[in-house]
Amino acid sequence: METKEKTKFKHLEKWESTLSACIRCGYCFEHCPMFKYTGWESDAPRAKIITAFGLLSGELEPTKMAADKIFNCFYCKRCEAACSSGVTLTEIFTDAKKDLVEMGLKGPGTTSVTDLNCARCLICVKACPHEARFHGEDGIETDPVKCQACGICVEVCPAGAAKIENNFGTGREDLIQASSRFLSTHTSAKAIVFACNWSYFPDLQASRLPESETHDKDYEIYVNMCAGRLESQLLMAPFLNKAWGVLVAACPEDDCQHKNGNTRAKKLIQGLQSTMERVNIDPARLQVVEIPAGDKTLFQAQIDTFIDRLNAMGPIR
Amino acid sequence: MIHQKGIPMKSVDESKLREIFGENNVKTDPSDLYAFGSDSSVHHAMPWAVVRPDNTEQVQKLMVYANEALIPVIPRGGGSGMCGQTVPIYGGIILDMKHMNRILEINLPDVYCRVEPGVVDDDLNLALKPHGMFYPPTPASSRIATIGGEIANNASGVRSVKYGATRDAVLGMKVVMPSGDLVTLGAHTRVEASGYQLHKLMVGSEGTLGIVVEATLNFVPIPEYRCMGIANFDHLSHAGAAIGAIMSSGATPSMLELVDSVAIKAVNKTMNLGLKEVAASLIFEADGMVKEAVDYEINKMKEICKKNHGSDITTSYDPKERAKIFMGRKKLFPALSKYDDSLSSTSLADDMAVPYSKMAEMAGKIHEVAKKNNIIMTAYGHCGSGCMHTKILMDTKRPDQWASAKKAITEIYEYVRSVNGTTSAEHGIGLSKAESFKVEKADSLKLLQTIKQALDPNNILNPGKLMQAPEDWVTATGLRYSVNN
Repeated sequence: METKEKTKFKHLEKWESTLSACIRCGYCFEHCPMFKYTGWESDAPRAKIITAFGLLSGELEPTKMAADKIFNCFYCKRCEAACSSGVTLTEIFTDAKKDLVEMGLKGPGTTSVTDLNCARCLICVKACPHEARFHGEDGIETDPVKCQACGICVEVCPAGAAKIENNFGTGREDLIQASSRFLSTHTSAKAIVFACNWSYFPDLQASRLPESETHDKDYEIYVNMCAGRLESQLLMAPFLNKAWGVLVAACPEDDCQHKNGNTRAKKLIQGLQSTMERVNIDPARLQVVEIPAGDKTLFQAQIDTFIDRLNAMGPIR
Repeated sequence: MIHQKGIPMKSVDESKLREIFGENNVKTDPSDLYAFGSDSSVHHAMPWAVVRPDNTEQVQKLMVYANEALIPVIPRGGGSGMCGQTVPIYGGIILDMKHMNRILEINLPDVYCRVEPGVVDDDLNLALKPHGMFYPPTPASSRIATIGGEIANNASGVRSVKYGATRDAVLGMKVVMPSGDLVTLGAHTRVEASGYQLHKLMVGSEGTLGIVVEATLNFVPIPEYRCMGIANFDHLSHAGAAIGAIMSSGATPSMLELVDSVAIKAVNKTMNLGLKEVAASLIFEADGMVKEAVDYEINKMKEICKKNHGSDITTSYDPKERAKIFMGRKKLFPALSKYDDSLSSTSLADDMAVPYSKMAEMAGKIHEVAKKNNIIMTAYGHCGSGCMHTKILMDTKRPDQWASAKKAITEIYEYVRSVNGTTSAEHGIGLSKAESFKVEKADSLKLLQTIKQALDPNNILNPGKLMQAPEDWVTATGLRYSVNN
């Protein structure tokens, strides 16, 4: 296509040669939580790169739909780890967001928003690891460029006013429902594993297996975008559905993509373990393990150890 | 033919599509259509709609509608094709098969599995692994490539030298024809001599003859032992002689890869791997169930490399050592992309095959043509199956670079045909390679068109590809790069 008149994408402009260097192989699909959830290629990272190219070249109008593609990103950066051309995709998305915001297109996509019932307690402002929440003219606001959709504000908000509207299956209710469905449809089900997308996510698994291959599964893995977003209600819900245990996989100490999501999760789990002890439930049934980015072997080993431990303990009576 | 450039844009009945597929399985917003307008090739063109079937019946209904309304339908898998097979040159409906992704059956006693076309290659292998089996064609893009796309392009990969290409693994299939009729082709048996092998005709047809909605595939046991080796060569011709000698010695490598000096330099420059900068390296591998048998194969290949002036020869069974040996080859893709900020790595003339005895000469020819045309080209590939890969590194903004690339490609394909090679070994023809394909298959083009006409009389299935593609690939569609005026 011939270069058209340049638009006002002044931040995106510096990525022009990178957008050409992307060979569009599509390897970035593999770990993208959005692609896994919707199954639409147009929600995958490659489509965002194509969109950015289209916006910059003038081939694509900067509409709300086009902007939403860019604003829908959890910044887990697994696309970057998988990129065969070494493209820093999320940096491109951030610059595209800057330009779009200047044009009045602010998403929200996956960025957090604030409901009217916000008490302006400022807890979320303090907790946000990306300094994206601030007290503005309209109360507590989110800078859509800075927000990386970790969801920590959602977890800490006492009024339930901080929200991520487009969860792509990673919100509390989605995960409670999905884990409940697994536990009620698999007689051999014992455990639920919540893994942050950065510490680990299983390989593509975009295909559906026959029932004969899955009926005896004893655990299921669900991705949440950051361990710091885990809430008590979510972690306890599987026990109400007769789970024997819940395992949480988080990034190692000092290596959290969202600064302190892992330490938040650990504190929360320690508190819940104390409560479990008080009601005579073995606290070892709720565990958190540290998994360095993409260490599948360690992740699997930790799951196997956890399941062995649960087998030794048996179901909760 | 109904689809020619310049005809007014047809519109689709969106309500009809929503009726067939449901509200959530139809995309018509320009931002979605734009993303579906390209694959991993240099091409881009806008479709009119994208639909996502969940079952065969929906595919049949779509084909009945499209056949009557004369709307092009372009089936699409992972969109990892490198030649523009899924780029809608005349517009139309993209049929995104990724949601028909069920592994229907893994039948161990009869050694076959049945899958829907949207199943991803790696997923199938994950499912087969607990049974000690694997599906062998495995192209490099197996992490996103779907079985349907692999069938459409007769995909193959590094291990095809021993285990064959997709065509060798497909036993049968169910196909929706352009009329909407559903036909069952092939069988569930290892061999079949019951008339025309139409399922084999579908393999490599690039979505122009029918829509595969189910495939029956063969699988093989995962070998107990795998040993990999590497040998360096100071002259390309020595590496070439070693390739021919290995392949004619009776040895059965499970991998035999060539990496040339340009590729080695690119990896060293961008990845700092410190590989020895020689004229060429050969990476070879043997696998099997019995260690002594693997030893025999690997020693045979080692000896042949030594006899042909190979040096620094090392081999290993250790997975970490094997990964180290393969690192240079594995990092080649990103290395080429990062070679120079002003250059892009383009998929053009990227997978020709030549007889074994011509592999080294072919690599030399690539270097010669690149130099003459002032572009950078590298030669690497699955020389065990005769496949040579290239990438053209160029400044995609400069029209003169496109002209040089076009000239270079024409010259390279002239050489390929002159030594009885073929235009494509594993990526297919699509749009990018039609020029050479038409020359290579000149005396059978009419026959190919007759087959197409018989199966798809209204020419609605992926029109404008293979023998129907325009000869000038640069202007066949828009390019997906910004090119200066």
